[in-house]
Amino acid sequence: MNSKPKHYRNFAAFVLKGFFILFFLLSFVFRVETSFAGVIKIGEINPLSGRFAKNGIEIHQGIEVAVAQTNAKGGIQGATLKLVTRDDQSRPDVAISRAEELCSWEKVAALTGGYVDSLVGPIAAVSQRYKTPYVASASLQKELAAHNNPYFFRVSRLQGFAEPLCKFITERFKGQRLAVLYAATPGSTELAHDLKRCFQDRGLTVRLMEKFRPGTPDFTPLIAKLANMKIEVIVSGGFTPDHILFIRQLKENKISPKAYIGPFGIAYESFISALGNDADYLYSTCAWNPGITTPGTEKASASFVNDFQKTFHHQPNTTNMHGYTSARAIIAAIQKVLDNREALNGENIRQALTKLDVTLPMEHLSFDSNGDPTHYRHVVVQIQKRKLVVVYPPDRASGRDIFPMPSWEQRN
Amino acid sequence: MNFLTAKNRLNKSKTHWIGLFLGFMLFFALPLLVQSNHYILQVFTHALLLAALALAWDLLGASGSISLGHAAFFGAGAYASALLGLDLGLSPWATIPLAGLIATGLGLIMGLICLRLRGAYFALATLAFVEIPWVITDNWDSLTRGSLGLVGISGLPSIRIHGFHVDFGSSIVVSYYLIFAYFMILLGLVAFVHQSNIGLALQAIREEEIAAEAVGIHVNGYRLLSLLMSAFFTGVCGACYAHLVRYIEPGLVYGLHFSAVPMIFAICGGRLTILGPAVAAMVLYPMDQFVFHPLLPAGHEFLYGAVLILAMLFMPNGFWGRLRNAS
Amino acid sequence: MWSMIFVSSLSLGSFYTLVALGFALIFGVTRNFNLAHGELVVLAGYVSYWLWKMWAFPFILTFPAAVLVSLVICLGLERLFSRLHEPLALNSIVLSFGVAVVIQNSMLFLFSGNYRLIRIPVLSRGFHLPGLYISYTQITLLGSSLIILFLLYMLMYRTYLGKAMRATIQDKDAAAMAGINVSAMGTLAFCIGALLIGLAGPLYGCIHYLYPSSGQEATLVAVTITIFAGVGRLSGIILAGWILGLAESFTVVFFGVSWREMVSAVLLLALLYFRPHGILGHGER
Repeated sequence: MNSKPKHYRNFAAFVLKGFFILFFLLSFVFRVETSFAGVIKIGEINPLSGRFAKNGIEIHQGIEVAVAQTNAKGGIQGATLKLVTRDDQSRPDVAISRAEELCSWEKVAALTGGYVDSLVGPIAAVSQRYKTPYVASASLQKELAAHNNPYFFRVSRLQGFAEPLCKFITERFKGQRLAVLYAATPGSTELAHDLKRCFQDRGLTVRLMEKFRPGTPDFTPLIAKLANMKIEVIVSGGFTPDHILFIRQLKENKISPKAYIGPFGIAYESFISALGNDADYLYSTCAWNPGITTPGTEKASASFVNDFQKTFHHQPNTTNMHGYTSARAIIAAIQKVLDNREALNGENIRQALTKLDVTLPMEHLSFDSNGDPTHYRHVVVQIQKRKLVVVYPPDRASGRDIFPMPSWEQRN
Repeated sequence: MNFLTAKNRLNKSKTHWIGLFLGFMLFFALPLLVQSNHYILQVFTHALLLAALALAWDLLGASGSISLGHAAFFGAGAYASALLGLDLGLSPWATIPLAGLIATGLGLIMGLICLRLRGAYFALATLAFVEIPWVITDNWDSLTRGSLGLVGISGLPSIRIHGFHVDFGSSIVVSYYLIFAYFMILLGLVAFVHQSNIGLALQAIREEEIAAEAVGIHVNGYRLLSLLMSAFFTGVCGACYAHLVRYIEPGLVYGLHFSAVPMIFAICGGRLTILGPAVAAMVLYPMDQFVFHPLLPAGHEFLYGAVLILAMLFMPNGFWGRLRNAS
Repeated sequence: MWSMIFVSSLSLGSFYTLVALGFALIFGVTRNFNLAHGELVVLAGYVSYWLWKMWAFPFILTFPAAVLVSLVICLGLERLFSRLHEPLALNSIVLSFGVAVVIQNSMLFLFSGNYRLIRIPVLSRGFHLPGLYISYTQITLLGSSLIILFLLYMLMYRTYLGKAMRATIQDKDAAAMAGINVSAMGTLAFCIGALLIGLAGPLYGCIHYLYPSSGQEATLVAVTITIFAGVGRLSGIILAGWILGLAESFTVVFFGVSWREMVSAVLLLALLYFRPHGILGHGER
């Protein structure tokens, strides 16, 4: 037996190949940069592949529309915007590398994009190190903003879901037997715990709290448990596929709760078209939707829908809008810096963002000292005849909700 | 004729050491070569971490067992180090080795359950095993914060030598060197294990277990030893990952990714070689990030899979093994 | 409540069985670990969805198309697998992992990341038995899994071909020595496996939902059940599916949904620990 490992041979060949590969790689990185004076680079990192690909691509589309709109109007003071898009593959380690690339190599003026906190958090840390402002498109967790990072901003936050939902549910469903289900993800878990606390403060008892892993293949035993406990109102923090399966299995087993509320993943055209009429009477929340927009922004909203449809040939949804809003925040800040004839650097853009005050279709956007949006608030909607109807708060309501929802036997 | 081959081998072994030295110098000097470009450094830091992970995986692979569940150790290491740091305020210098020990404890449990199994059944048992630490981490809210994940994990540790203060976390260069040092230590250890009696015993077990048993090798003892070593270093990799990324959640560190990636690298590079798994990681990961990604932002994983298929079909012993055979 | 849970567990177990059958057969005969199995099931589902949605094919008529597509891919896969060297199980794991990545990304590209669902209104209806409500979905799953198992049983235990195939499952070398064309048996196993995948896919799209990366879970279910049952035991497979379904349901009821994944894993580990070769299977190294 030969005890010496044999693989130490032919090293020269390997080293040569290794060097070849390395030079190849480096040549990619050191490619000649042709930068024009009249170009402002905006960096974008989104999960374009991997498990959050759907949402990442949607955010990307929104950002693209915002940049295209600005460029169509002649850019900012004659300078065109260039969007530098990177994919983080739904992995935080890749997100860090991408953020490093955009900040240190591409030298972007600001960063945007980002879906879920596990990807937004690492990007935010890098942006702080390079003093490059980062406006996250979709991030929820409270702890993330509490991290004393002056370069981190976001256009969404958890309270925007929790407050209106809690008020609506406690006002509308007082005295009903309530269950809160949630997915094993940070955002959903935090929302569920926030809601539970809020319900208890307002005197509504939560009979059952259950956590499930997203993508659970069968909810029937849980449904049987809920039926056995005579639960009347179900709040589920699951995502689109979980709702699809849950509703379908409710129907198959002819179990009819009086109300079903899913804050995430229901107020989407794709959800309604997947479930058809079975989607009727479900409650959800949304920040924006074609036709549901901050009062006074109807025109801006319509022009977004129009531009979006021209490019992508389908209706935009609220996730698209989150991307659009975050990009618009950066564009507005850059505009302000250039209008004041200041140097376009991270610090000045950050200053402009802290003082930002614009009314966009999704929200009246201004940031607090943590970089959280001050006015981000969802409205509660109900699906009626395959359309979203705003039912809460009263001043934005476009109709009355139907409660309790008719049983499956009545609906056919 | 014999003389000629012997001389040839001598020459080759010389070129080998020169090559090894050049490779070492290259990676040692990388931060200088790419000075202003932290991005390259960041990618190579992760590549080194994945290379270390592949080496750690292959410590078990050397005994002929294929694990599909190394994410269990990776996740346990990541969570242990992060929690010890967050709750007890310990320095990463202490928490990272402790995380390795906790992962070793988990490895012991896995060993007791799975080591009586062989081949495919062992692989599948490890695949199922991951769920146990995952679900416990997910549900033990009071200790692990459950599904909320951990935010605010400290960066890699800083060094203080006589007032000279180097902060590993804030400078990518230094965290690169820290991971590089860990990788070199692990590589040295793997090379040592391969040369030592342990390595010989593992080779014997891998090639003909019954014969190995017959000549008096304590088969399960050695298999357990290799599993424990593998678990320890995988746990340390997980801990480093937690301090590099500074944000973890159960699905992230226990997911299939960290079970699959070291296996792929080890097998693409050559499972039976020392350097193969590491070289595969150092080539494939940067290639994915630098070359495929700019070419195809949204579908570059497609090419990754294709490369893997091609490597499997045309280089069954891994490309490192193929280089070896070509000589 | 209990009757509802019992029936739903059995139908879930049958669904698992349908998903697992193709994998078990291919693994049994060729010892190839096809980690791309779940992706193939989802792809077959997408084919069916596509025909059903775009050209309004009746759902039943989409099955042949799904079978055809999975047959083509499975035969291609067999060519790939046949080029592999020992250790076969290990190498096939890596190769098929690459295939899984390729298929998954192609599906993302071709069918986008939206969740797709085949809606068959009839299936969500049902009928009442005393103290029990059964939906047609459950009937379909129970019925189709039993029928398919029966047909497979007839093939394996009542025909000469099946006998040859069983011999290959038990001992490849001995089978080859007895004059059985082992590689032809392998091709046949891939064909039947493809047929089973093509049948499972559309049902998957209609019971679950279609999403490019949802194949992973299907693969894990298939692996678990195959190993649970022991290689080459048809009756073991449906038993394993049912036990898995029941165990998961009762865990949900008694401990909560969040423990579901672990208990099925623990069950598998315990089983492997006490009976290293599966509940009904016999010795295999």
